[in-house]
Parts: sequence; C-alpha cells; structure tokens
Amino acid sequence: MQDSTPFSFTLVITGAPYSSQAPQSALSFAAAAIKAGHRVDRVFLYGDGVQLASALASPPSDEPQWPREWSTFLEEHGIPGVACIASALRRGLVDEGEQKRYELPASNLRAPFTIAGLGEWVEGRMSSSRTVYFHGSD
Amino acid sequence: MSTLIVIDQPPYGSWAGREALDMAFSLAAFDQPVSLLFCGAGVNWLRKGQEPGTIRQKSVEKNLAAAPIFGVEALLADGDDCKRYGLEAEQLLDGVTLVQADSQLFTNYSHTAFAG
Repeated sequence: MQDSTPFSFTLVITGAPYSSQAPQSALSFAAAAIKAGHRVDRVFLYGDGVQLASALASPPSDEPQWPREWSTFLEEHGIPGVACIASALRRGLVDEGEQKRYELPASNLRAPFTIAGLGEWVEGRMSSSRTVYFHGSD
Repeated sequence: MSTLIVIDQPPYGSWAGREALDMAFSLAAFDQPVSLLFCGAGVNWLRKGQEPGTIRQKSVEKNLAAAPIFGVEALLADGDDCKRYGLEAEQLLDGVTLVQADSQLFTNYSHTAFAG
C-alpha cells in the first residue's frame, strides 16, 4: 500500500449521531485515511446525517460530542463539510441565510459546516477517486 | 461512469427512498448517467394505483413517471422480489425493466449508492 497512489475521498454520512454509528465510523475512517497519506476532499451530510451539523446537540458530558469532534476535525484539516439543503430544511437544521429566507426564530448550523445542494455530492463523486457512504441502521 | 441508485425500502414508511430518488434526479440534472434499481421491499414503489393521500403523503408514482423526462436511464426491478410481493407485470408502472439484482448486474455500473 505504501507505494500506491494516494486516494482522495468524498465521504457521505446518512446516519444521524446518537441514533446510528455512522458519524463515528466516518470520523475513524477519515482520520485513518489521512494518517495513511490519503486525502479527504469533502464530507457530505445527507438524510438523517445532517443532524451531525447541529450546533445545539448537547449529549451528557460523559458521552462523545460527535458534532463538535467532527467540526474540530474538519477545521484542523481544512476539509469542507456540507449538509444537503433539502435534507437539512426538512429536519430543522438551518444557517442564518435560510433562517431569514423562511423567517425562522433561530439558526443552528455548526461551523465550519455549510448548507448546499446535492450538486456538491455530484461534484465530489466526480472529482474524488473514491466516494464512501456511512449509513444508519435502516 | 454510470451510477446505480438502489432503493430497497418501501415507499412512505421512511424518507430514505425519496432522498435516494433525489440523488438520481440530481445526477441526471448534471448529465451523469444513472439508473434506479428497486429490490427487496423497494419494489412496492413500482406498484400502479398508489393512493397515499390518507396518510398525507404524495404518491411516488408521479416522481417515477418523471424519471425518464429528467434523464434517468432505466427503472430496474428485481423479478424475484416482485414475485415475493405479489407484483405481476401488469401491476407495475410503465417502463420498468425486470432484472436479476445480483453481482453480475452491479458490474455494469462504476458507482452504486443507497440513500440510507
């Protein structure tokens, strides 16, 4: 493996934290990939996976804070994290722009995540050498 | 590179299938070749005459009828799973191709995705 060309990955997370292991598995995968010299181009949250980008998740202090662990990881490595806009709006995850547009009482998107369309996923799977999916239990 | 989006869950009980359909339409909108495979309980998406109004959901039939217009190349259904759910050919939506969803089928696609 050491001689092989490094891969570039787009990671797609469709399982929510605390109801599935998907965000945790994806984080372990991303950390291992980078450690092995590969690149993670972007992380795309889809379906229930958008819950990972919530700034309001407050698990008990003796449980891992997956949204915070993921944002720290993304910031450390300069990896864009994108939540699908249709999935996010359905599930009550909004940035300030969408808050204004829909006249909502609050926004709750955790930095550095952004909200964008499925085109980000399409582009990711075209430009990365591998696209890996992390699903919930369904 | 051609993509196969797999829907293996029944319509209406979860949003995963609907979101898988959005993935297919999105690829088609970017001129990426894409087909849909319905297998397992997912074959129930293809049943004619769905009336989910009483559970306040929109019929997925309209979305599927629009698939060829949006550029989705094929609607595939696993023949054995159709039998398992008592779906005869005449009960299926128009334009569905029956296939055997095995490893051989998947080799025709460079990319496979499930919504969840």
